[in-house]
Amino acid sequence: MRLLTHNMLASNARGAVTGYPLKLQVVKWSTKEVEPNADFLRGILPKLDWPALVAATHALGLPELLPETPPTDAELSAEGAAEEEGGPLRRLHRALLEIHIEEGTLVCPDTERCFPISRGVPNMLLHEDEVRN
Amino acid sequence: MAHVAATTGTRPLHPPGLRYYASRGGCASASPRAGICTRRRRREATLAVRAMAQMSTAAAAGLKEGIAGLYDESSGVWESIWGDHMHHGFYDAGVAASMSDHRRAQIRMIEEALAFAAVPADDPEKKPKSVVDVGCGIGGSSRYLANKYGAQCYGITLSPVQAERGNALAAEQGLSDKASFQVADALEQPFPDGQFDLVWSMESGEHMPDKRKFVSELARVAAPGARIIIVTWCHRNLEPSENSLKPDELNLLKRICDAYYLPDWCSPSDYVKIAKLLSLEDIRTADWSENVAPFWPAVIKSALTWKGLTSLLTSGWKTIRGALVMPLMIEGYNKGLIKFSIITCRKPEAA
Repeated sequence: MRLLTHNMLASNARGAVTGYPLKLQVVKWSTKEVEPNADFLRGILPKLDWPALVAATHALGLPELLPETPPTDAELSAEGAAEEEGGPLRRLHRALLEIHIEEGTLVCPDTERCFPISRGVPNMLLHEDEVRN
Repeated sequence: MAHVAATTGTRPLHPPGLRYYASRGGCASASPRAGICTRRRRREATLAVRAMAQMSTAAAAGLKEGIAGLYDESSGVWESIWGDHMHHGFYDAGVAASMSDHRRAQIRMIEEALAFAAVPADDPEKKPKSVVDVGCGIGGSSRYLANKYGAQCYGITLSPVQAERGNALAAEQGLSDKASFQVADALEQPFPDGQFDLVWSMESGEHMPDKRKFVSELARVAAPGARIIIVTWCHRNLEPSENSLKPDELNLLKRICDAYYLPDWCSPSDYVKIAKLLSLEDIRTADWSENVAPFWPAVIKSALTWKGLTSLLTSGWKTIRGALVMPLMIEGYNKGLIKFSIITCRKPEAA
């Protein structure tokens, strides 16, 4: 599960107010490098919940990876942004797309209900008594 | 999931190879019986149809487990014979198909659905940037749409085996930054409201026990202005004078449903009614039954190949039972009971 996916997921269980963002507990994770795409990152930036993304990197033990405030569009579209190691674009790219959570748990912030992540796949199924009517 | 298409005309379709299966079941003509028996059967039939949205909790849990188990067990067989798309192919009506046509036809099905829904393709501003694939199988549609639009595609399935396979295939195809798969329930989608520019359900609607909730969730996660595409098996529309399908039709559907882990079916106009209730716009529907009909002779031929037979025999009872029920689907198709339908609509733009 990538952190981009984590940024999209919410708990729909009964008792959840927003069910978002899910707290992340990581047992095993890996990185897989992939070419950054500046246009994609610029497009997705306004749709991201930045505090949720930052919290996820903290849960991974990477508090230095992302700044507390999101990069600006100007920073992402600057000349050479994609090549600059450790620059704002590469950091955002790494966080969103290159980190893969293999084993762990997603926890609903309202109900503490745990959703397992197993072999890279989050399981968001609810039990029948948790379904909202 | 493989199903037989229904003919829309008065002349049933009998492609070569299907003739044996079509004649085996025969036409169960209900001989009229007067009095209590008929009235009770009619009431039972009516109740069965009205129970569409009211499956008990225990039954719903059993259904989900059954679906997950069926696809955990059979996905591997399916993929080895048919590839990574688990939906029907779209053919010109009346044209014979062969195995080698099938993948192209499956791609065509996706493209025909997108065209029917008028999904913008070329405009970089208007083309979809985020897509949800509801009932995603091993992710064939998601990966195709990710490639076509450069969009982020999120697939949901009840089957952990399928989700993992979907992720593995995405990685193999260099799409792991664009397509991701999770285990989730289409009736309780794990996403906040309004996330997706394109909401896609390709041959998964048959599995949803509560059609209204299913469509309501599709609408909820759709962004303003997003298109919703449902391609699914339905039963025929009811005549204005009818309250329900005929008893023999309901009986046939029940036997099919038991084998494929399908809850009660509805009609295309039921979907249209639900979409209208949810204030969805630009609702369009079409009957594509004749366009999927050529698929079944090819499926049966593949099952009769050595590879098909041995795969089936090693794949478990659920998969075998699904294969044995194919003649029932063919029967339903020939009787005009079963329709392969597309329903599309649009979430209203933000006020």
